Amino acid sequence: MVQINFAQKQVNAKVVYYGPGMSGKTTNLEIVHQRAPTGNRGDLTSISTDGDRTLFFDFMPLDLGTVAGMRTCFQIYTVPGQVYYNSTRKLVLQGVDGVVFVADSSAAMVEENLESLRNLEQNLNEYGKSLATVPHVIQFNKRDLPDAMSLDELNRLLNPHNAPFFEAIANTGQGVFPTLKALAARVLESIHQSGSRAGSPQPAAPIPAQAAAPIAMAAPVAAQAAGQGAYYSATPSASPQAVAAAQRALQQTGFHGAVQAPGRPGSMPPPLALPAQPIAMSHGAPEMARTTVHAPPPVGHGGPVGHGGHAPHAAPAQHVQPPAANHAAASLRMAPQAPVLQHGAPQLGRPDANAARRAPAPAAAAHPNARPAAKPEARPQAAHRPAPAPAPAPAPAAPAPVRRGSKAWLYASIFVVVALGIGVVVAKTVLKVF
Amino acid sequence: MGVREQKLRTDRLVFYRTDVTKLEGELDGFLELSSARSALLIDREGHLVTKRGEVQQHSLDSISALVAGSFAATREMARLLGEEEFSTLYHQGQRDSIQVSLVGDRALFAVVFDERTNLGMVRYYATETTRRLDVVLTEVAERPEGEGEEKLASDFGSSATAALDKLF
Repeated sequence: MVQINFAQKQVNAKVVYYGPGMSGKTTNLEIVHQRAPTGNRGDLTSISTDGDRTLFFDFMPLDLGTVAGMRTCFQIYTVPGQVYYNSTRKLVLQGVDGVVFVADSSAAMVEENLESLRNLEQNLNEYGKSLATVPHVIQFNKRDLPDAMSLDELNRLLNPHNAPFFEAIANTGQGVFPTLKALAARVLESIHQSGSRAGSPQPAAPIPAQAAAPIAMAAPVAAQAAGQGAYYSATPSASPQAVAAAQRALQQTGFHGAVQAPGRPGSMPPPLALPAQPIAMSHGAPEMARTTVHAPPPVGHGGPVGHGGHAPHAAPAQHVQPPAANHAAASLRMAPQAPVLQHGAPQLGRPDANAARRAPAPAAAAHPNARPAAKPEARPQAAHRPAPAPAPAPAPAAPAPVRRGSKAWLYASIFVVVALGIGVVVAKTVLKVF
Repeated sequence: MGVREQKLRTDRLVFYRTDVTKLEGELDGFLELSSARSALLIDREGHLVTKRGEVQQHSLDSISALVAGSFAATREMARLLGEEEFSTLYHQGQRDSIQVSLVGDRALFAVVFDERTNLGMVRYYATETTRRLDVVLTEVAERPEGEGEEKLASDFGSSATAALDKLF
């Protein structure tokens, strides 16, 4: 979701590199990070496994500079490509404003490409979006592979919405920046168009999760190749076997219209429903075996997850113990007075108006943006901290203690009498002796 | 899915000066009371909305993205465990600690604090501040777009193209 902050004069958008495992998403980001001007790029953060496979995401902020008086920034993410990580992949897609789909050009990777594209559509659907509406571009990476498929075939299979497409060899940097530039232009254009539609009714309701996903594999081929600026010259066409494999893959997943007439967005063939079963888990066994080596244990294993789930609750108690006990207790005792978060209350029309009236300090009239002056006497921790509770008053005399006292007195009396008796006997004996 | 949630999912989020002034007032009040080091308001996509206190500017984007990612993962974990969501997240460090609270549907309130205060204080004041921030953010989210006093310049599109040509 685009964030426009007029106070900071900043526009933020989120861009995600999506695609099958090992297709070159992280490599794209690394190249952008290496070659972007120092002043425009932020740190590249990777959450990856020991084997350098993306575990959650890679992230890099890219500052495009000032556009019409607004500092325009892209937050660029990659997703983990492996089938196993669909839940984290889906999280990264939340609020996405533009997608680069990085496909592996190898004929052996056709099925993985198709599955990843379907998975992208499905995950977008869960956020009420679709490839038909989200700005996206396609990058056909690894064009230097000997078994790279032709652009025509790749487009027919992987570019259902006639998005701009680019050839790339990401590890050499070829095609990386044209891809990103094209996507950035599309995203910024969509921001501008949405801005100019401001105040108009919102777009139609989002597509339900299981609604028809426009994975119609239309063929843009010739016109696309002519008009969309292929970056790198075409390589030999894919073998007929590879094409046949792709067709089989499409038919196995319930799609029977793969090579129909070209479909422009305005004249798309009827969208086809996705297969009901979760695509991500459909044939991921080899991937799982390969990628779970360094992966955290699955949720079902209980121990770590259960422990982690409780940790935030358990830790504070220990952390707070010695120094915090007083503060925490003071905080709790302050609760009924509710005096503390009052400054600025009148201006903001806070709902807790009654508490505001109970506030003792006139400092509440300060401007909400003004940091309150350091007035030791006004520091809430000190000012509102209740005085130490007085020691409990001695309990008034009650029947029970009186009874206990009487018993003691009785025992004492008996003891004294017995002692006196013994004393007298001893004295007599002594007198007799002498 | 409610109308509001639909809107939150499909719309852009626009903050005007008055919104940010209100939000910063809340953050300032929180910092004063809790003695925390810094307070960040981040939307759930990982974009920083505003920040107050002692913050290192250069790492803010990364911190915001990681906080949002971390919270998203926690939310998914909660869902798998049968909880609706974990509304608070806490990481304890040797010197600094961070607590993240969910603010309504839309944003995250991250607090960085050190030995000058303690978790009890931070948590107590954060609870109230979160509620107040949610009031402001709800106004922002439910306000029809275009009602604010500022708009994107009409030449945003052409300027964007020029900026891209310059950068790439």
